[in-house]
Amino acid sequence: MATHAHAAAHDDHDHKPHGWRRWVFSTNHKDIGTMYLVFACTMFFVGGSMALVIRAELFQPGLQFVDPQFFNSMTAMHALVMIFGAIMPAWVGLANWLIPMQIGAPDMALPRLNNLSFWILPFAFVILLGTLFVPGGAPAGGWTMYPPLALQSGDSFPMMIFAVHLMGISSVLGAINVVVTVMNMRAPGMNLLKMPLFVWTWLITAYLLVAVMPVLAGAVTMLLTDHFFGTSFFAASGGGDPVMFQHIFWFFGHPEVYIMILPAFGVVSEIIPTFSRKPLFGYESMVYATAAIGFLSFIVWAHHMFTVGMPLAGQLFFMLATMLISVPTGVKVFNWCATMTKGSLSFEPPMLFALAFLFLFTIGGFSGLMLAIVPADFQYQDTYFVVAHFHYVLVPGSLFAIIGAVYYWLPKWVGRMYDQKLATWHFWLSAIFVNVLFFPQHFLGLAGMPRRIPDYATQFADWNMVSSIGAFGFGFSQLLLPYIILKCVRSGAKASDRVWDGAHGLEWELPSPAPFHSWETPPSAAVIARGAEH
Amino acid sequence: MSSSPAIRIAIAPHCSLTPSGAWTLFLATCSVSFGVAGLLTLRGFWPVLAFAVLEMLLLGWALYASMQRRHHSETIVITEECVDIETHARGAAAHAVFPRHWAQVKLRGDVSPLRPARLTVESGGKRCEIGSFLTEQERQHLAVRLAPLIGGMAESPQLPSGQPRG
Repeated sequence: MATHAHAAAHDDHDHKPHGWRRWVFSTNHKDIGTMYLVFACTMFFVGGSMALVIRAELFQPGLQFVDPQFFNSMTAMHALVMIFGAIMPAWVGLANWLIPMQIGAPDMALPRLNNLSFWILPFAFVILLGTLFVPGGAPAGGWTMYPPLALQSGDSFPMMIFAVHLMGISSVLGAINVVVTVMNMRAPGMNLLKMPLFVWTWLITAYLLVAVMPVLAGAVTMLLTDHFFGTSFFAASGGGDPVMFQHIFWFFGHPEVYIMILPAFGVVSEIIPTFSRKPLFGYESMVYATAAIGFLSFIVWAHHMFTVGMPLAGQLFFMLATMLISVPTGVKVFNWCATMTKGSLSFEPPMLFALAFLFLFTIGGFSGLMLAIVPADFQYQDTYFVVAHFHYVLVPGSLFAIIGAVYYWLPKWVGRMYDQKLATWHFWLSAIFVNVLFFPQHFLGLAGMPRRIPDYATQFADWNMVSSIGAFGFGFSQLLLPYIILKCVRSGAKASDRVWDGAHGLEWELPSPAPFHSWETPPSAAVIARGAEH
Repeated sequence: MSSSPAIRIAIAPHCSLTPSGAWTLFLATCSVSFGVAGLLTLRGFWPVLAFAVLEMLLLGWALYASMQRRHHSETIVITEECVDIETHARGAAAHAVFPRHWAQVKLRGDVSPLRPARLTVESGGKRCEIGSFLTEQERQHLAVRLAPLIGGMAESPQLPSGQPRG
């Protein structure tokens, strides 16, 4: 007689928990991905509201709406919320949704750790946003937390440090999970050079995170001990070196920029071939270019601080190393253009956002090259030119890629097609207003307008007004995104399994919507070969 | 009774990382992390090293926990009298024994797009699924291998002698 205890356990494949427990205790990569994306969207609007406070104040010269202390709090909080609350969680959310499906794995390697890494984030941001209500106000010394200015903050200082620690822990847990998942959970036959570019770029991003997060954690802890325990790591009065904080911070901070942009390269490398109906040109060179960018990101940090005073050899090294990054980045831009050449192009919303990324991120790259030139940087340092540069990288760069990714994979996630006409409107409003918002800031910076000031000389008035109009136009047009998603979830037309006729990849082999549990049985060699037609 | 030896088939989930690969990955990551932290420690900024140690411990644990998948296994032992299926998963073992004469192997297809086929050993209204973590081709290959060894209902085919183990 058969005696077996485990056979029934195999029949639970479609079991899906319900109610609040599904979300609070979730270990499912798709649910956790959804929570990350919802959180990122919420924080995007919180951080966006702060940006609108800044732009409202700068609409005209003089002090209109807020006092300078609060204005400076808004600049620091806007950056912290957007970087750690919106962009990074959005990428982790996309990684959660897509990486297991793209490598043929049933889930992330460490599902409970995955749950923990998400649920740390809301607590971190309750603490960070709570600083707005403590005596002395929210941190106002910039997201870079430079001492000695940061050490002069009020009660918000330890709260900010604790929040940054929590965000760092969340990022590290997520990154370790990605590394282990990609390295150990790939389906049989899914070798490294068959992985989709999104997985590759995320793997390299995760390594960057693992490498730099201890540096950030150490730096902010030393700030804390300088403030409360009498140490002198960065306090000049005790023999410390405040400039060393800048070195340590930017050793973390510059790879952090690439942490926010490398997955965007992966997304664009998925979207452009789909809507060009051609394989990606130069797949392997894309992988090597991504790795090269990741490596170079560790040796360029001091270009953020040319003006602190450093030896000529140091200036030359960091200038040339920074310029060197344009080579692998150029390889990528060339490959995307070559992929589109003689392709059967169509311009659905994901492709529109990918194309805008291609043009506008390249503008951000070029202004970065200008900033890499030491004598020129002496002029641009701490002006609106720098603000324009990094916003071109992060908004039409990272953010447009995230929105493009949502429009690309949303039908696969929810099994319904969104309103493409409305999404096209969203694109054009975003693309126009983002340029109205940020392009004039180049002119302001070149004319000498410093950043992080609530008031300015009257010769900067016209372009500031244009920029503020662009900010409000861009900000309000983003409300279309949650509306389009909600409309899609509630009443969208049924999406097909492949959704886009040129799409390749294992995720498109799954039904739409993607089942709660996917790839519990690994995909066959034929399915992997079909999906790996890069 | 025949004196044919028992036939033992062991199957385990695929892990794309070998133990040596996991060690290489871990040591390479440690060398980068400790390299950076070590340089900063030499300059007096030792808290970075403390966080690097914590992070590498976490990475080591994560790799170790993930590599435990390798210890999930199913062992099928076929003797003249019975088919013995032993499953080890996450430290728990389950055991199913079927009389070989009354057991049969079934490969049920088209269950769902995500589970193209289900391989079971069945007898007397009881069934035990095997190889759920295999790919479709691997499962078909296993079914083809098991069918002549277990035979159909009320069959006891001669077990080959000298059958390779494992």
